[in-house]
Amino acid sequence: MNSVNDRTRDIGPFVPGPDDDMLICRCEEITKGEIRQAVHDGMWTLTEIRRYLRTGMGLCQGQTCSKLVKGIVARELGVSPAELEPATSRVPMRPIEMRVFANEADSNKEGE
Amino acid sequence: MKRYDLIVVGAGPSGLSAAIEAAKKGLKVVVFDENEKPGGQLFKQIHKFFGSKEHRAKVRGFVIGQQLLDEADEAGVKVVLNATVIGLYQDKEVVVKLGGEVVHYKGDAVIIATGAAENMVTFPGWTLPGVIGAGAAQTMMNLHGVLPGKRVLMLGSGNVGLVVSFQLEQCGCEVVALVDAAPRVGGYGVHAAKVARTGVPFYLSHTIVEAEGDECVTGVTIAEVDSSFKFIPGTEKHFDVDTICLAVGLSPMSQLLKMAGCKMEDNPKRGGQVPISDSYGQTSVPGIFVAGDVSGIEEASSAMIEGRMAGNVAAEYLGYIEKDALKEELDTLDKALDGLRQGMFAPSNRGKLIEKTDEGIEVSQSLLKNGYIADEEIERFPGVVRKVGVHPVIECTQNIPCNPCQDACKKGCISIGKNITSLPIVVDGSECINCGMCVANCSGQAIFLVDEDKGDGSAEITLPYEFLPLPEEGTKGFGLGRDGKVVCEAVVTKCRSSKAFDKTHLLTIKVPKEYAMKARFFKVS
Repeated sequence: MNSVNDRTRDIGPFVPGPDDDMLICRCEEITKGEIRQAVHDGMWTLTEIRRYLRTGMGLCQGQTCSKLVKGIVARELGVSPAELEPATSRVPMRPIEMRVFANEADSNKEGE
Repeated sequence: MKRYDLIVVGAGPSGLSAAIEAAKKGLKVVVFDENEKPGGQLFKQIHKFFGSKEHRAKVRGFVIGQQLLDEADEAGVKVVLNATVIGLYQDKEVVVKLGGEVVHYKGDAVIIATGAAENMVTFPGWTLPGVIGAGAAQTMMNLHGVLPGKRVLMLGSGNVGLVVSFQLEQCGCEVVALVDAAPRVGGYGVHAAKVARTGVPFYLSHTIVEAEGDECVTGVTIAEVDSSFKFIPGTEKHFDVDTICLAVGLSPMSQLLKMAGCKMEDNPKRGGQVPISDSYGQTSVPGIFVAGDVSGIEEASSAMIEGRMAGNVAAEYLGYIEKDALKEELDTLDKALDGLRQGMFAPSNRGKLIEKTDEGIEVSQSLLKNGYIADEEIERFPGVVRKVGVHPVIECTQNIPCNPCQDACKKGCISIGKNITSLPIVVDGSECINCGMCVANCSGQAIFLVDEDKGDGSAEITLPYEFLPLPEEGTKGFGLGRDGKVVCEAVVTKCRSSKAFDKTHLLTIKVPKEYAMKARFFKVS
């Protein structure tokens, strides 16, 4: 277990900040305060934050906010952003309509 | 499942270069790109590139893009557009969204050249319509012919911020301020100088306090920051703007590599999450390679070389070329890449404060703080000399890997020498014939032809001009100094255009002779 995930570590209480109402994930409308609070709720990894708040799960799939979220979580934990494991990358990499996702081309057919 | 020898993801400079090299070696290659047009960022680059001939210097970015597409076509590369790669698996299965369906492909080798995405910064109001990335501004202007706004504030003084600011001015937008939290201009001094001389004020050690507006951006407040990036109270400045452009760096789009199981690292020097790879792009998964910005943020010229490296390595991996042949190719490419990674802006110098040039000359501090070289600093550089008759004045003051000027002058007036990063000098005893090729060929628009004394109390200055409409002979106006402020009255005596100048027009203005070394831009009155 690395130091980032050592949950016995005391990161201090949640201290409200003046910019807590600033939107960070604009697709899912999550604020800086919500992300900071989530860390104090025990969400110490980016994957947990994503599941808890849905940051980076909207239309842009985290293209805009993932670096910002990472910075906020790292600051709250008192670690360098580079120490935080990024959230898992999964198919589909880009937002895609379910009807397209379900429409697998015949593997024998020329696809283009 | 359809199989290819090599699947390349991304049809930008590195992806296309990789595909061309591999196809030339006999591989069956397909390139997928999610955009409707190929070329990545190249087709948005309307400025002339730096470098040497081998790096396609002085050629405009979009022309390089077209050259690559032609070469790819000739080599038999298949480029599929509107093709979004949504997945990459360890066994090199590539999942592509094509039209309304999902198609699976198998590549014996895969090169990921997905490039980078723009970073954002947050401030109150950052989600208002009108706050856009500099890349978005470029896309609007240069691909779609849409004006991003009328009055723009640019945040970021790296090359992207500088180049896009200049393009906004070319489009007729007013750039009201160029702002950067860093204490020094991040990009090339010549890019900064050509923006500053049009009258754009630079605010270093400043950043955005807030964007104002209810429905969209109507204004912005900036303030000075101290060395720990905290606002200094009382330093606020307000601008009425409709657009705020953010040019605050890029992050590699490396998610596909992580998905495929490649070992990753967070490397701030490379711009964020990048795959761990050797210097030729081999990742921890055999047969999966990377090239270009996705493996570390640099620029298009080095991306093209990295692409060619990865293309060759993939060819060897699949047995299309022998190890010896590969080594030969890579040795040549290594040299080319080394050539680009020289000078003050080399990746190894990132973040370092360089106070003297290689020649031992003090770097212009005004250039780093204000975007222009101060009048009292300019004459210490070797390209700036006083002479009788017409002669080139080369205001190139930083060691960057670029040398088209020395080939441009057929009379041998300009020399850089063997070392591509040396400052250009005006050769003693050489005779300038006022042809203007140096002015047009300098990618940094840093060369002027000056006749300091016409004998009637006036001087003539020929400057590079890339704005429309072109002022006609006899047009009266003002000479602007390097700082963009009016220094004297000026009248256009000549405006030359030629195919050889490649759309850089040569404007000759007549000014009182005491301003021969001061006036560097023309504004119609």
